[in-house]
Amino acid sequence: MFNQLFGKYLVDSKHISSEQLSEVVAMGSKIRVKLGLIAVSERLLTTQQADEINRLQAVMDKRFGDIAVEKGYLTESQVSRLLGLQGNAYLTFAQILTDKGYMSLEEIESALAEYQRKYGFTMTDMEALRSGEVERIVPLFLPNIDQPLFVEIIGVAIRTVIRLIDADMYLLKASFKDSVDVSKIALQHLDGEHKATLAFSGEGKNLLAIANTFAGEEFTDVDLDALDAVCELINCINGLFATSISYTKIEMDMLPPEYYDNSRKATAKQICDVPLCIKGKRVELLVTFDEMMNV
Amino acid sequence: MAKILIVDDSRTSRKVLRGILEANGHEVLDEAGNGQEGLEKFKTVKPDITTLDITMPVMDGLEALKEIKTIDKDAKIIMVTAAGQQSKMVEAIKLGASEFLTKPFEADQILKLIEKL
Repeated sequence: MFNQLFGKYLVDSKHISSEQLSEVVAMGSKIRVKLGLIAVSERLLTTQQADEINRLQAVMDKRFGDIAVEKGYLTESQVSRLLGLQGNAYLTFAQILTDKGYMSLEEIESALAEYQRKYGFTMTDMEALRSGEVERIVPLFLPNIDQPLFVEIIGVAIRTVIRLIDADMYLLKASFKDSVDVSKIALQHLDGEHKATLAFSGEGKNLLAIANTFAGEEFTDVDLDALDAVCELINCINGLFATSISYTKIEMDMLPPEYYDNSRKATAKQICDVPLCIKGKRVELLVTFDEMMNV
Repeated sequence: MAKILIVDDSRTSRKVLRGILEANGHEVLDEAGNGQEGLEKFKTVKPDITTLDITMPVMDGLEALKEIKTIDKDAKIIMVTAAGQQSKMVEAIKLGASEFLTKPFEADQILKLIEKL
């Protein structure tokens, strides 16, 4: 995710062109090797075990390595070694930039320092960003939130979008609002020990970035079928969240999803508006916790 | 080959499920968008297997399951759930659900369940 954020900064600050960024990102994705593949090639897993873990990943909000350890197929130290082999995404990105001759390592380091100053990130924040670990990156973009479950549901949403929709998505600085104008919105309320609402909204055809990928369709407009597909993604996110909190004996149940294809206002005391860039399109992730959103 | 009734409020889910079933030689007799409609269609199309989404408007999957089991105690029902609905899954087991299918759908998982029934 940091590659997209820092890459966008490099383009905005005219260090590289958008074409160069696209090329570098495309090359990076080509050489990104899946952990399962590395584990199989290292003869630590059989193909069947890797397939089983891939299937489990479809229904669990967990990383490949975590599932492999839980199943007893790999030890934590083996996972660490495999991750080392997989390579850090940011380093890969920087490597390609220098290999292509678009920037020297010194120029990259200098741009990185500018980026840190511009957005007020600490050294620890920068370490978190460069790590590529979503769990560490997401909180840097959220406003101060006291309720850990509020942060958790947003984290589950972003991890699920990365896993099922766009591995190269990124987020921008989020903020609290009491009202958001939406033109098209898909949402689902959760009820139980806590109330919550999770929604995706987008202008024009932007929600197609989610709908088409999730449903495997070629919707041309954000019609009711496309919004239904977005709702199904939300249902998966909320299901994963409800599962994770059920381990701490907190019960929250999902209500039937809703969608609207006309302009309206989403209101609540505190809506966390998280702007996401998914497949190059801006989509708003709107979340309330301990209250339901009125739409 | 099984004759199947799909009950799910999501058009996307119905379409994906129908696609997987038909591509593998099963016959989808009909679809319904909520539990009430599903119950009516269950009475008329008499499926071998019914898939019932748990979270639906009008009548949810658990209520529909209860009604269907009253009509036919041997009805084979696969409950469709998002992850995170454990308490409802327990209730569904008590009401006589045969199997569970978790979203997002995996073709292998669906076909194995159908074969099992």
